[in-house]
Amino acid sequence: MRKKEPISPYANKITVRHYLGRYWQFYAMMLIPLCYFLLFKYVPMFGNILAFRHYKPLGGPYGDRWASGYKVWPAPFRYFEQFLLKPEFWTAFKNTLIISVENLIINFPFPIIFAILLNELRNLKLKKFVQTVSYVPRFVSTVVVVSILSELLSPTMGILTRLIDQVFGVGRIYYMNEPQYFRMLYIVTDMWQFTGWTAIIYLAAITGISSDMFEAARIDGATRFQQIIYITIPTILPTIMVMFILNVGHLLSLGFEKVLLMQTSTNMAVSDIIDTYVYRYTLGSSSPQYSLGAAIGLFNGIIGLILVSSANFASRRLTGNSIY
Amino acid sequence: MSVNENVKGSPSHIREHNPILNTVIFIVMAVVVIACTIPFLYIIAMSFSSPAAITNNRVSLWPVDFTLEAYKSIYEYPHFFRAYGYTFLFTFGGTAIALVMMILFAYPLSKDWLAGQSIVMKLVIFSMFFSGGLIPNYLLINSLHLVGTIWAILIPYAVNQFNLIILINFFKSLPNELEEAAIIDGLSYFGILVRIILPLSGAALATVGLYTAVFFWNNWFAPLIYLKSSQYPVMLLLRNIVNGRTMIVDNGGMGEKSSLSISIKSAVIILSSLPIILLYPFLQKYFVKGMTVGAVKG
Repeated sequence: MRKKEPISPYANKITVRHYLGRYWQFYAMMLIPLCYFLLFKYVPMFGNILAFRHYKPLGGPYGDRWASGYKVWPAPFRYFEQFLLKPEFWTAFKNTLIISVENLIINFPFPIIFAILLNELRNLKLKKFVQTVSYVPRFVSTVVVVSILSELLSPTMGILTRLIDQVFGVGRIYYMNEPQYFRMLYIVTDMWQFTGWTAIIYLAAITGISSDMFEAARIDGATRFQQIIYITIPTILPTIMVMFILNVGHLLSLGFEKVLLMQTSTNMAVSDIIDTYVYRYTLGSSSPQYSLGAAIGLFNGIIGLILVSSANFASRRLTGNSIY
Repeated sequence: MSVNENVKGSPSHIREHNPILNTVIFIVMAVVVIACTIPFLYIIAMSFSSPAAITNNRVSLWPVDFTLEAYKSIYEYPHFFRAYGYTFLFTFGGTAIALVMMILFAYPLSKDWLAGQSIVMKLVIFSMFFSGGLIPNYLLINSLHLVGTIWAILIPYAVNQFNLIILINFFKSLPNELEEAAIIDGLSYFGILVRIILPLSGAALATVGLYTAVFFWNNWFAPLIYLKSSQYPVMLLLRNIVNGRTMIVDNGGMGEKSSLSISIKSAVIILSSLPIILLYPFLQKYFVKGMTVGAVKG
């Protein structure tokens, strides 16, 4: 609910001068952060124009002239045509989608299940302990996550490699280097890092459920499991849907930093994603193609926007929940 | 996202005994606890074990032939402390700038009735879903002549939309009467912010401060693209050690060397994560609250 304007009797007769006279301090407070916000969030957004323009080395961020035609497409779409024609780009696109979708399917339900089970825990001290421990991985850097992973899975002395070898007798595999394990490692480390953390949101939603509902259900003879299915899950559905929409919106922008750290020349075929592709041709290159990078970035951003609005639309139609 | 704000506490009903459910709960909790602790214990054990014990695969979760060799090597490596210094500088400086910026931004934005508030809010929300990509951001920083200076790390990340919304929602949740009373007493809005709002916002500020500090502490990609190698923070140093770009020791035989470098790597992991992990139990009671109060409302 909106709060009322503090001083209101003359509110409808107030002039701009009086209004500013009364509230100028709010605008003064906002001035620097707002300019700052526009500079660092909105200027780069308009900087996307570079996708259509020719970049002059050591020139300004907006290039020096409109891009000329490449093969078939009209003039300013040169860079879009350039990457859309490359099979290498589509490999990266496919890799991005596969990792994201697999990650979403596997890692989206985990925090929900974890939160529900945590809520069923009777021993409050144990609950608190498990929660505290489960947050820790969220606080370490992706560099640390990948470093720990590479030590656990070291082919010569990694404890996990040795354990898997002893149990299954598969030999000491260099998991970090083998393409077929890349996606699994990405997903498992994501699970490790974020399950406990994301569960906080669901746990908060569960704690918000009125205990009357559970009591009523129990009087009607509902078991604990039935209470979870018929009360807990439907009540937190709005939260679940909001989280789902946000996740879908970020499908194309998955953990770039982690992928970059886990990437080796041998797993490139599965580990090259759109963001690492952009990085390789721009900042990671000795002859950076900034316009091309900007074009791919814009393409990515627009797909993200479409994804988030479609997920939002679908969710509003199906469950009545939406983020806007 | 909308989160029910009238928290009723966990359901206090007496549960019937359900052995299957209890077993599932027990197993899941055990797996979570093991998964979240074992990797760290292993790294700690590796960092304190002798190279010979590591090579012979005798180390699992407890140091074998306890030694401080790895920590000594790091201590003698001059660039480690420089990197650590930069990490502290970025964390404290970045968090301080971010908190000041976000407080000054969030307080006016918490006033729904303020003319122009809704349009600025829409700009904030939209920028969460669409932004300039890597290249436009890099070229902006470049054209501001910040590349190669520490300001490229300290300044551009100060306003995080998610943290900003946590603060806005927290400020909105404070009772209006306090402000009204202060206005009658003749306090300006700046005065209200400093003397009334901020002292009441400990939980929200701790939450946002922690998120921001963790971000700056763990940030390595921005330093990689914006800074000179002499300005690298500790996370980037670790990354360079892991992928073999940086060697801390280059004496000793081949096998000896590679196992010592494993324990050095482990020690760097421990030293680089320790401060932020130590900080968080103190702030934990706040951030769960902050995360739920400030949950995004679109």
